[in-house]
Amino acid sequence: MKKKLLSALLATAMTATLLAGCGSKPAETTAPDAASTEAATEAGEDTAAAPTGEAVTLKTVSMFGGTDPNASVYEEIIAKFQEENPNVTVEDSSAVADNECKASVVADFSVGNEPDVLQFFTDAQATNLVATDKLVSIEEIRAEYPDYAKDTLETALAGVTNTDGVQRAVPTTGFSEVLYCNKDLFDQYGLELPTDWDSLTTAVTTFKENGIIPIAVSLNNIPHYWIEACILYSAGLDSYQSLPETAPAEWVAGLETFKTLRDMGAFPEDTDTVDNDYVGELFKSKQAAMQLDGTWYAGGIEDKENTVAVAFPGVANQKAEAGTITSGFSSGFYITRKAWDDPAKRDAAVKFVMAQTSKEAVSAYWAKGGFVNKCATEVSTTETLTPLAQSIADVNAAAGNNFAGPIDSRMDAEAFTNIVNSICDISTGSASAEDVLNDALALSASRVAAE
Amino acid sequence: MRTQKKIKIGTILIYVVLIMWAITTIFPFLWVFNNSFKPSSEVIRSSFSLPQEFTWMNYSNAFSKQNILMAYRNSLLISGTVTIGVMLFASMMAFGLTRYRFKGKGIVQMMISASLMFPVFSTIIPVFRMMSEWGLLNKNVAVILPQIAGNLSFATIVMIGFLASIPLEMEEAAYMEGANVFQVFAKIIVPLCKASLSTVAIFSFLWSYNDLFVQKIMIRDRTKYPISSLLEEISSKYGTDFGLMAAAVTLIVVPVLIVYIFLQKNIIKGLTAGAVKG
Amino acid sequence: MLYKKKWPLLIFVLPGILFMLIFLYIPFIENIKNSFYDMTSIVSMPGLEPKYIGIDNYKTLFTDPKVKIAILNSLKMMVLTVVFEVGLGFILAVLVSNIKRGAQIFRTVYFFPVVISATALGLLFKLFYNYNGGMLNQLLASFGKEPVNWLKPELAFIMVCIPTLWSYVGFYFVIMLTGLSDISDDIYEAADIDGCSKFKQVFYITLPMMKTVICTCITLALTGALKVFDLPWVMVPKGAPQGLTHFLGTYMYQSTFGVNNFDYGSTIAIMIVVLGVVVSKVVNLMIKERD
Repeated sequence: MKKKLLSALLATAMTATLLAGCGSKPAETTAPDAASTEAATEAGEDTAAAPTGEAVTLKTVSMFGGTDPNASVYEEIIAKFQEENPNVTVEDSSAVADNECKASVVADFSVGNEPDVLQFFTDAQATNLVATDKLVSIEEIRAEYPDYAKDTLETALAGVTNTDGVQRAVPTTGFSEVLYCNKDLFDQYGLELPTDWDSLTTAVTTFKENGIIPIAVSLNNIPHYWIEACILYSAGLDSYQSLPETAPAEWVAGLETFKTLRDMGAFPEDTDTVDNDYVGELFKSKQAAMQLDGTWYAGGIEDKENTVAVAFPGVANQKAEAGTITSGFSSGFYITRKAWDDPAKRDAAVKFVMAQTSKEAVSAYWAKGGFVNKCATEVSTTETLTPLAQSIADVNAAAGNNFAGPIDSRMDAEAFTNIVNSICDISTGSASAEDVLNDALALSASRVAAE
Repeated sequence: MRTQKKIKIGTILIYVVLIMWAITTIFPFLWVFNNSFKPSSEVIRSSFSLPQEFTWMNYSNAFSKQNILMAYRNSLLISGTVTIGVMLFASMMAFGLTRYRFKGKGIVQMMISASLMFPVFSTIIPVFRMMSEWGLLNKNVAVILPQIAGNLSFATIVMIGFLASIPLEMEEAAYMEGANVFQVFAKIIVPLCKASLSTVAIFSFLWSYNDLFVQKIMIRDRTKYPISSLLEEISSKYGTDFGLMAAAVTLIVVPVLIVYIFLQKNIIKGLTAGAVKG
Repeated sequence: MLYKKKWPLLIFVLPGILFMLIFLYIPFIENIKNSFYDMTSIVSMPGLEPKYIGIDNYKTLFTDPKVKIAILNSLKMMVLTVVFEVGLGFILAVLVSNIKRGAQIFRTVYFFPVVISATALGLLFKLFYNYNGGMLNQLLASFGKEPVNWLKPELAFIMVCIPTLWSYVGFYFVIMLTGLSDISDDIYEAADIDGCSKFKQVFYITLPMMKTVICTCITLALTGALKVFDLPWVMVPKGAPQGLTHFLGTYMYQSTFGVNNFDYGSTIAIMIVVLGVVVSKVVNLMIKERD
């Protein structure tokens, strides 16, 4: 009995050694090499070199985390910013914008744990945040810093107006949702790039027969783009932009496309269990032929020569004009009341947002994204566009004014999540698209009425 | 002669079955350990062979993604405190319940056994709200307190089982000689309980260290993540990188296995002493 | 009783009771309250007070097909834990107690999966089951077989159960083994002399002698089965595929933190506790009746 060291003692000892081992230095953002300073910003110079201020810790949260291609630009700008403002320490917590991250941002706000600067959605997904009245409006900031968001186009600022009609966020880049195609696979099997429902189904059946996964999508994780595209094309632009109280037949037909496609074998065998990153890998490694995603996704595609983007081809009996796309700005940088009311932090927060949204910063985000995203400022480049970037530019140009923001941005978040979570069931026929839509629309309507 | 041969065949069969089960419990860890030293492409191609191009890349990758040492420190701090808290409160409560008769004893005992039914997710939302109101979010104590409460009932039941089974003579003698009840508890009961206390300690430590749920909810600031949260995040964000995932699993598993191998004799002793007789 | 003065009792018992009250019982009661409100966030935010909705959540609960799946799966899991975790634990313990060499090694090794976190095990099995290049499909490929989608709807539940069950066999094994070591060797020796076969000895000596231990194990296994969460969640988040692998725990988490339907999550949480109390009462009654 004596031999055996009481495990408690051991645990304590371990704890103690570890405590002694590491000081309690807060982990700071790991700055990637700041040498690649395409992201150079002039914000520091603009507001006069004033590193005389007292030490400030700025807590920031963004959705540029993990595998998001913007993450490296975001971090470079932070590194540059810290260099120019040695009195400011940036403590950044960024994560990929999944539901969990959204929920935790909201939870943090509700319990007073909000950051100083937040890069987040500006649409209906921010309704909860807006309701807390913890985000400072552009008007209020500009009263004190007239130069705030000076590079940002007014149309872009207007595009990120919150649901209550107030402008608070400064956007960087926007997005369009396009269908990426591995053109080499299409060529190999003598297929044309899809332009309508018929050519899409032809491509799907041909690929399926040849052991290529036709469409890379994870129905269990991110079927969002397909939901948007199917409803947009089935219902047409006007109906798509409205938020009806009960589901129109075209919306239902749109969602039923999931079942049609699944029955054709268009999705990966394990679409119900894998996640979005995984199917992205399938597409990039040419095991899958097509993937519908936002333009931000283009940055992560390595083969920019043989991958091209087209507008969503269409669905059966569509109402929308060919070439219509889901597109817009949906996120931006906010300053919270917490930082604004703290004299020490106010200046740092403003500088930080300006560094992240200046023309140079937006250009860097644009470049990192492969010159494909919508930009909130004027941007220019001397580089020749890759075939992929060119094809996206063509899609955007062809769409002209035939575009609208996603349903996601208009509907109550919980209601939309319910649709997303039902897609697997709709695709197998075990849930009725009509019921799912009706429930979600009713919930969304009741939430809006309650506000 | 005949019977001897029969027994031998039987013994061989027993060994075959036992070894087969042992393989299922060892093989997965060897597999993942082996693959953590391969680039992802090789894991997908040939996960059974030894690494062809041995690489530390997955580990350096994991370490560069986050401050893993810090996360270990957080985890050990949390689990260490939980362990001590549970041992202390459980043995005290068990002592009170076995050595005193009082009104409401039945209710307390019922409370203890009923709380075994409470899965942690049935209480987490209000606990989260309380922690946020007390300003304890992102602090280790926000994980420690609910975990102590969650482990307390099992631990108390083990301790009651043991305390009820030991004879009273030693306590009686000490008490008659003038020791007060706290001295009796500290000098006689605690040393007697060593074995079952270590059971309690080991299980509290393991359950606390391995519990992802409470950590994920209470610690929302990723610079303060304990190890499980951190590695779960790495693997959910970089889930297609098989090599990195194998390294992440290895990093969570190895410290626990080491602690376990050192302490495993106590587990068995402790369970004999406590849980079973209870 | 030995100790005359009653006041030290308070010091002994109070901290524990307080812990349980503050972190288990009061939150549970608050949960009951929450289940009657429509909450849009965990705590009430200025401008967004929760709205009273009566028993709407309970109505949903009884019509929600996913809840039905989750309850069925959890009940199935209870049966499986008793049969496989307790059963296998018992068999392995009897076998180990019958050998002389290597018993110590088996004891150590069988407990491995118990000490490993469910997170790590979940990640591990995700690597095993993966369709493209997972361990099992590599194995199939080396025999020239087509890859199998191990998590397809028909297989998913079993494939999720296997690691969940496997990982806890060692726990019951160790408890059984210690129980077995308490049975005196004399009884077996006497049985040997009487010509009773080893096999019969298990039925006529071991099982009856181990009755209390087995009952403890069954109770632990049943309550444990209701709490299953981490492993399925890490392996097949959101009850994938198609919600077929939802357990009560995962569905509650999904409703609460995936959909942000906090009030509905609370309602499910209450149901889990009610179910747990009912099941353990039934088991207790059954055990008592046997006596």
